[in-house]
Amino acid sequence: MRYYARKFAFYLVALWAALTLNFFIPRLMPGNPVDILMAKLAQRGGTVDPSARRAYELLLGANSGESLLDQYFSYLGNMFRGDLGISVSSFPTPVSQIIAEALPWTLMLVGIATFLSFVLGIALGTFVGWRRGTWLDSLVPATTVLAAVPYFWLALILVAVLSSAWGWFPLQGGYDVVLWPGWNADFIGSAIYYGTLPALTIVISSVGGWLLGMRNMMVSTTAEDYVLTAKAKGLRDSRIMIKYAARNAVLPSVAGFAISLGFVVAGSIITEQVFSYPGIGSKLLQAVQNNDYALMQGIFLVITVAVLGANLVVDLLYAVIDPRTRVSG
Amino acid sequence: MTNLSAVTVEPPRGRAGWRSMLPRWSPKLGVGLVLIGLITFLGVVGPFLVGDPNTIRDISLTAPGGEFWLGTTQTGQDIVAQLAHATRGSLYIGLLVGVMATALSALFGIVGSYVGGYVDEGFSLFSNVMLVIPGLPLVIVISAFVPADQRGSWTIAVVLAITGWAASARVLRAQTLSLRNRDYVAAAKVSGEKPWRVITIEILPNLLPLLASQFVFSVIYAILSEAGLSFLGLGASNSSTLGTMLYYAQNGFALQRDAWWWFVPPGLIIALFGCGLALVNFSIDEIINPKLRDIPRRAAAEAVRVPDPVKRPDDDVVLTVENLSVVYQVENPVHAVKDVSITLRRGEILGLAGESGCGKTTLAYAINRLHRPPAEVTTGSVTFHDLPGQDGAGDDVDVLALTPEELRAFRWSKLSMVFQGAMNALNPVLSIKAQLEDVLTTHRPEMTKAQRKAKCEEVLKLVGVDVRRLSSFPHELSGGMRQRVMIAMALLLDPQVMIMDEPTTALDVVVQRGILREILRLRDEIGFAVLFITHDLPLLLELADRIAVMKEGEVVEYAEAQRMFERPAHPYTRQLLDSFPSLTGERGSFVRSGEQMTPVDRSGEPTPSGGVR
Repeated sequence: MRYYARKFAFYLVALWAALTLNFFIPRLMPGNPVDILMAKLAQRGGTVDPSARRAYELLLGANSGESLLDQYFSYLGNMFRGDLGISVSSFPTPVSQIIAEALPWTLMLVGIATFLSFVLGIALGTFVGWRRGTWLDSLVPATTVLAAVPYFWLALILVAVLSSAWGWFPLQGGYDVVLWPGWNADFIGSAIYYGTLPALTIVISSVGGWLLGMRNMMVSTTAEDYVLTAKAKGLRDSRIMIKYAARNAVLPSVAGFAISLGFVVAGSIITEQVFSYPGIGSKLLQAVQNNDYALMQGIFLVITVAVLGANLVVDLLYAVIDPRTRVSG
Repeated sequence: MTNLSAVTVEPPRGRAGWRSMLPRWSPKLGVGLVLIGLITFLGVVGPFLVGDPNTIRDISLTAPGGEFWLGTTQTGQDIVAQLAHATRGSLYIGLLVGVMATALSALFGIVGSYVGGYVDEGFSLFSNVMLVIPGLPLVIVISAFVPADQRGSWTIAVVLAITGWAASARVLRAQTLSLRNRDYVAAAKVSGEKPWRVITIEILPNLLPLLASQFVFSVIYAILSEAGLSFLGLGASNSSTLGTMLYYAQNGFALQRDAWWWFVPPGLIIALFGCGLALVNFSIDEIINPKLRDIPRRAAAEAVRVPDPVKRPDDDVVLTVENLSVVYQVENPVHAVKDVSITLRRGEILGLAGESGCGKTTLAYAINRLHRPPAEVTTGSVTFHDLPGQDGAGDDVDVLALTPEELRAFRWSKLSMVFQGAMNALNPVLSIKAQLEDVLTTHRPEMTKAQRKAKCEEVLKLVGVDVRRLSSFPHELSGGMRQRVMIAMALLLDPQVMIMDEPTTALDVVVQRGILREILRLRDEIGFAVLFITHDLPLLLELADRIAVMKEGEVVEYAEAQRMFERPAHPYTRQLLDSFPSLTGERGSFVRSGEQMTPVDRSGEPTPSGGVR
């Protein structure tokens, strides 16, 4: 139980740190974002009522005479109510609504792609590590090229070849625009078709990292005594590879999931831009280009919460697959 | 550290020598260095050789060829010139971030864990929080708040360093924690050296390979992140990097106009540079973890051996090892086992004694063909003489000629093993029950679930372990209990031979004695033969029926235990006996003092030699 309590406490601290960063960054940076925002709003003919200005000031900071601490607590209050402010670029839609529309796209795309890439990388890494000393070893350096390829560049190449030249996949978008979004077979089929290339990009660029990490751990693990015991026991190779070597070798990959997830999320955000995918990444960019600070910060927070949540789930899973965490805490 | 080369006053105490810090030469390292070298050349020297990258010409999107090797951009700029300048910009940021992030990670990782206490807790928590907050979105937010005209290379580099150090800090912390407790560091601390001196002189050199690898990693991270930022239009203003090239290519519709020469080369340079760094990192990783070194390709198939079992001398013999030699096929082949011949009778305990590294474990593994490359059996034979009446009419089995599947079936059912160091011989993530049962499901597929459970409980009872322990995991058992479980596991299939490799070495004397007593009792009840391997010759004198003494791969003396006790023939045997202190503290008086082999009558009292009765 202690393990779980510690993990929950840690992620609470991380969440608080993210909220606090979000509060201080605009205040520490040069320039006066609130004025820029107000000007932008006035340009678009939006009505600048005092309560909207007050919300922006809380989010971004301004010389309103209020103490920083008061601002901080009012800001935290707004965040806990889910009030992320009003978007400027799509005035007067609340930020939370824009995010709610874009988030499912990104969650599905990045979630499925990351899962596939993890499973594929672990499976391949297990096999390559187990068959050490065969021709498979020469595959290992090749994976580093994949890992060093910028996601968005790979996306460009894939689009150039698979979409432009061969016409297998659509150039961009999340679904066929003639369809009306909804839970029907046509739309879901279209979403899968449009999502294949972005997902492929993420899988190809991230699978090398998982593969390499798993392969190296397999090499270390196959030298362990318990693998030798398993061989002496006359168990079948497949069982030794999976239940003895891989089962232990996968633990560091799961424990290091947090580090890798950060990279995948980063890469995915930019990949969405290439495909004009209707997800969080594209919205973030739209926010940045329009100085839509409220939307930008809202998206940063949502991404952070999603990543923290994913890591928490993985940590809880870790406790299930490593019996040692359950007792020692 | 710079003028260290001149005189080395003292040999490095416990520290790895400087030579071992250098990567070993390998094709991977070579390719990596060439890639890095070429791209660095392009970035450092290239800008002086090419024209102005910003010159606009009226030859929009010319395909490669002629004057412009890689064609032109939408506004007719020379791609080659742009690449040279952009590479320089990217390398500059990569280097800046690499240095800053490594410094930050060293500060938080090394200093924190060295100081310990609350500082360490705080630093560690801080690193972990920074680690789980996704870096790039944070970088995007920060960059977006900095007005474009104030966003220089340095600003971007600092932001990337701040968001990119945490993973390295965690790795460095783990390593420093383990170094901190090494003897030579403790010695330096005790002798009153200042903390910064201990860190820079004792700890840092050992962390160099790790630091180097983290630096390389930071550089890759920085170049990739910067490219991403610039591609989004959030990069440093007034600077040109590979990312900004891609940004302009994207916004100039290079993709839609099939101008591959505009957007392919910048990404390719990033990928190749990253690949080069990663290849160098392979070599650095091999210093940190030598297990990762390349091993020679496996031989396609072992030469097929024609079965040539040794005829059984008489019905009493269960295992014959004849003229067995094992060689480690490395650069200078090591003859680990030389021409060894031993026979094992049914129900006897044959002791195999010798100091560490004499080849006794290699011999034991070779008997069961568990030796791994580069070890290789060069000559000799191992013959197992099966009990008549069981499957087959008492075949003589040439173990070295068994096919892989036959060997797998032979292992454990005819010959089982108890390994040294029970700590790691059990799989830490499987329950005891699972590890006992998989032997039965593999070798006795016809058994029902209930029968398997009954058998597991039976063997646990035999070794005196509570059957409720079946659902335990190895870490929940004491060392002695783990060793008992190992013995129980070895009993599962009623094998005729059991090889025990230092089964009690890691245990304290009382536990050790209990387990040895158990082995003797089980041998008497069940009647398997034991090959008992230990460095502890006096222990064998009491336990074994016959003893083989090994030295440098050879059996130098092979005799009845009683005779070896009374008249050790070989000088090395006498030396081995003499090297164990007696209870009175006088060397060599252990065996000679008593008329009988009863030097440890005061039972319960710890004896260094672990005598047992």
